[in-house]
Amino acid sequence: MNQQAKTERIKNIFSSNQMIVIYIIAGMLILIAGINPSAFGPATFIDTGRSMLTMLMFALCEMIVIISGGIDVSFPAFATFCMYATTKLMVTAGIDGVLLSFVIAGAMGLGLGLLNGFLVGTCKIPTLIATLGTSSLIHGALLSFVGVNDITNLPPQMDEVGKQYLFQVQTDAGVSSMSIFIILPIVLCVIVWLLLRYTMLGRSIYAIGGDVNSAQRAGFNVKRTQYFIYMFVGVIVGIGGMTYTLLARNANTTQLMGSEMMVIAAVVIGGARITGGHGNVLGTILGVALINIVSNNLIVMGVPTYWQTFLIGLLIIVGVIITSVKAKRVALAPKI
Amino acid sequence: MSDVFLKVTGIKKSFGGVQALKGVDLEIKKGEVRSLAGENGCGKSTLIKVISGAHSADAGEVVIDGKRYDSLTPMDAICAGIQVIYQDFAVFPNLTVAENIALNYELDTCQKTVNWKEVKEIAQKAMARIGAEIPLDVLVERLSVANKQMVAICRALLNDAKLVIMDEPTTALTAREVARLFDVIRMMQENGIAVMIVTHKLDEVYEIAETLTILRNGEKVAEGPINEFDRPRFIKSMTGRDIEEVFYRPEQNDNKILEVQGISREGAFQDVTFDLYEGDVLGITGLLGSGRGEIGEALFGMAPATSGSIKMGGQEIKIKSVGDAMKNGVGYVPEDRLTEGLFLELPIGTNTIAASVKSYLHGGRLDYKAMNESMWKWIKDLSVAAPSPEPPIKTLSGGNQQKVVLAKWLNTKPRLLILNGPTVGVDIGSKTDIHKILRGLVADGVGVIVISDDLPELIQNCNRVLIMRGGKLAGCFETTDLDETKLSALLSEQA
Amino acid sequence: MEKQVQKTGFLRKIEKSTLWLLLLLIGLVVVVSIAAPKQFVTLANFQSMGFQLPEFGIMSLGMMICMIAGGIDLSIVGMANLSGIVAAAFMHAVGVDSTAGMAGGICLALVVGMACGAFNGLLIGGLRIPAMLVTLCAQQIFMGLGLVITKGPAIAGLSEAYQVIGNGVVANAIPIALVLFIGVAVVLFFVMKYTVYGQQLYLLGSNPVASRYSGVNNIKVIVKTHMISGLLAAVAGIVISSHYGSAKSDYGSAYTLQTLLICILGGISPVGGKGKLAGVVLAIVIIQVISSAFGILRVDSFLKTFVFGLILIAVMIMQYWAGSGSKKIKTTKEKQIG
Repeated sequence: MNQQAKTERIKNIFSSNQMIVIYIIAGMLILIAGINPSAFGPATFIDTGRSMLTMLMFALCEMIVIISGGIDVSFPAFATFCMYATTKLMVTAGIDGVLLSFVIAGAMGLGLGLLNGFLVGTCKIPTLIATLGTSSLIHGALLSFVGVNDITNLPPQMDEVGKQYLFQVQTDAGVSSMSIFIILPIVLCVIVWLLLRYTMLGRSIYAIGGDVNSAQRAGFNVKRTQYFIYMFVGVIVGIGGMTYTLLARNANTTQLMGSEMMVIAAVVIGGARITGGHGNVLGTILGVALINIVSNNLIVMGVPTYWQTFLIGLLIIVGVIITSVKAKRVALAPKI
Repeated sequence: MSDVFLKVTGIKKSFGGVQALKGVDLEIKKGEVRSLAGENGCGKSTLIKVISGAHSADAGEVVIDGKRYDSLTPMDAICAGIQVIYQDFAVFPNLTVAENIALNYELDTCQKTVNWKEVKEIAQKAMARIGAEIPLDVLVERLSVANKQMVAICRALLNDAKLVIMDEPTTALTAREVARLFDVIRMMQENGIAVMIVTHKLDEVYEIAETLTILRNGEKVAEGPINEFDRPRFIKSMTGRDIEEVFYRPEQNDNKILEVQGISREGAFQDVTFDLYEGDVLGITGLLGSGRGEIGEALFGMAPATSGSIKMGGQEIKIKSVGDAMKNGVGYVPEDRLTEGLFLELPIGTNTIAASVKSYLHGGRLDYKAMNESMWKWIKDLSVAAPSPEPPIKTLSGGNQQKVVLAKWLNTKPRLLILNGPTVGVDIGSKTDIHKILRGLVADGVGVIVISDDLPELIQNCNRVLIMRGGKLAGCFETTDLDETKLSALLSEQA
Repeated sequence: MEKQVQKTGFLRKIEKSTLWLLLLLIGLVVVVSIAAPKQFVTLANFQSMGFQLPEFGIMSLGMMICMIAGGIDLSIVGMANLSGIVAAAFMHAVGVDSTAGMAGGICLALVVGMACGAFNGLLIGGLRIPAMLVTLCAQQIFMGLGLVITKGPAIAGLSEAYQVIGNGVVANAIPIALVLFIGVAVVLFFVMKYTVYGQQLYLLGSNPVASRYSGVNNIKVIVKTHMISGLLAAVAGIVISSHYGSAKSDYGSAYTLQTLLICILGGISPVGGKGKLAGVVLAIVIIQVISSAFGILRVDSFLKTFVFGLILIAVMIMQYWAGSGSKKIKTTKEKQIG
């Protein structure tokens, strides 16, 4: 019986969501290598890593919210607000400092997260509607009260850090550089992984996502957990937004808007169920990687730009269907 | 009195005008095994929820281990050592077995971090205590009902429980599992843990309980050591009347309404055959998971049978969907009224016509006047306690809600009506009303099948009772040959 | 006696939900009229309101039925633009000034809208994927398809005749689009009140499990609902492309939030099964009045985004306070359909 259980476990591992995503990623890479071997090298990986950077940070936040049974469409607005307002503040006040900018953006994010926490945790407003509302509110506030025009003249230190590289690789096409900021999502992955797996707080996020009523009866403080989730997410989103600005070396008010779609899709493809309770860091990393590999390489593969939105949409819907059908199969499978 | 663990006095609680508890007192000593008995809807569940802090009482006092609580929260109750195993077990489907078991323990000991090795050890130990063997790494969503309950029991045992309340713990268990459960209960008792079993099954009460409290209509009507209660007194206290000797014997004739020949559905039931005659009431019973409910769902097309034949009025019919069933005049009152039967937020009237909207389509538009007439007609005919069809149905009591679910099907003018647990959670007055309605139906030539685990109900209303065991038909008995004891023995008999 | 009870019941219903909205609307109109009498109380202003309102008004009606069914449709804007683009592309292919081409283009747009809706409905009803997720993804797909057809820039140069739909007037004053909106609202009112589908829509939204146990074919109702939503989106798409004289895949991106806001304001429950068309129509007018007021007072449009978000949150919080004590709003977690 033990042997049987073991083989079943191995079988489950190989048919898990993560593995399916890995298969697809592998397939994509082979395809890319086949079509354009010269584009396939260390540079590809560095480029993918760099483009994944901020998206991964947002995706980890979204994953936490989805595990808890909610959904967050307000993070692009929050991130935009944090990065733009922070940059504007620092430029206007004439202060400089990379760490300081992160602290300010994180603090702003914390405040915005508190707002979401209040609406979801205290007022029990459905998360989609609450975050759609705050998204509109905060983006509107930014544009009407803070500013509209791009800020390109970052203070020197903040400007300089965007050009700091962890390492560089020389290829035929030129120099590929890995930004120092890649450390941020890596550290965040570890933190979120530890949080979700090894703390009671993390387990309570899974618990309320699995069954809110049971969680309440078991003695979990649902409200406090929800406040924590949205405030934690707020801070990370603030820092993520700031990272985006420092990388791009300018702050603008529109570029991030609309990115929630891709991020939610990446999380769902990574195995998180939109109904809550399921999801993990590794899956999310893979989901983000897949979407980035596809969108970065469509041009390499000779697909016209105007096909991109559609093809990525198609990829997402297929991913969602696979995830949902798998979840349904589990529900219908014979019980033990 | 230091040996009293829990004392509640004068507990009152009402929901939207319906008084569920009308001043109940209850006392549980340390290490006592008490049975809380009463018919469905007597306020048992509400009382448990008050004791566990899930509901706050409107009036009354809760004293646990000498400490008085003004507003008891679930956390207070857990910390004071009260554990409830609910009927829905309150497990987390998305977490593993090990974690489900150990989670509360970790929560109570106020741990901030999770030690997965320890979680497994804790879970393993807890399972060993009741001799359960469930793989620790499996997600609970993949477990059967019985195993989910085992997980819930393990979890309750782990917490430093001083009082474990079990809400209908044996409904889904086989005889062997029940025996094991009772062993565990005795063991807990030896360790000074009090257990309160909520049940309406007589045999179990006599087997395990020392003392008994009986609730009826939100009031405590009897209390005392178990040996002071013989069966008639017990039943009388529960129902508020002597056992009714007035049995209804429908007069059947030889016209077959329904002929079911060898229907099967994998994982639910196999090779079930029976006939239903005009003027006949057929009962189907069995333990949970025996396939009794599944037969009803199959005839209604909800989860259709995959083989076998069904004839109505001599004609072979195919039931592949609910639409098929309704076209052939089959109606079905589902088991779970709140989630399957009712549109809680919608008006009473809308609920009465929910299954027959199509019949009001005249000249391309719905006839609101006719709809309104039907709504009023059913409220009057079934004496539903409602001022008008306007208020949402959630404002009604269980009995009146059930009448509306019945009305929904009566309004479709069915040829065959299947009722799954027709009087679960219904007060005695409405129960009698519902039985009367059924008799009226039968007299009008409608075929009626009653699926129930309420044995007196079956014996009083049916001509014949089919007994299901493990998905197979274990026998068909004339009710004249049966009494409750005999029937209940037939149910749990090991095949 | 029975009649009397019914009548008071009827009056009470009107009072409760719709009357408040009506009072709010009247109050708003009075305030704006006093603040800017010369600009607000003019034929030109009412006319321009009549031109703007149908675009998001028709979309809101689609959002409304999806929400009553217990779901949501976040792909309405995508369907509208795709339909408009298909119509425009078809008209260009046939010949811009051909009347038959215009008729064909319009029909094609409506078919595209319904097909998009059917796609949503099948995934939601058939595969039981939450509506929120399906329509969020579908928005990307529809927008992407629009981009594939247009290759990026707008398809401009639509015929004068086509542009009459969005810019023309009847009886010298009433915008054709407004007439179209009223027509759509009346038909939808009839469908919701006097058809079997309309009743089943509320049953499904109120409790999808019980509706199955009452013989409602849930999948059929869900697919129908999203097809209607798609059809309405297509009508809106035609109005929009006609109004601009061109079709593009990113027109009207603010309308998603606006339609949701209108439905919530109009008393449609986010958990389904509740809400009336009259409330939504009033909410549409209210939002249009607010929009116009912003225009008249020359407040920049960003503030509108801010205020709409604020209104949405405020309405939800008020509903929470009104409902707390008796019942709390459930989470959006999809009910299992069994």
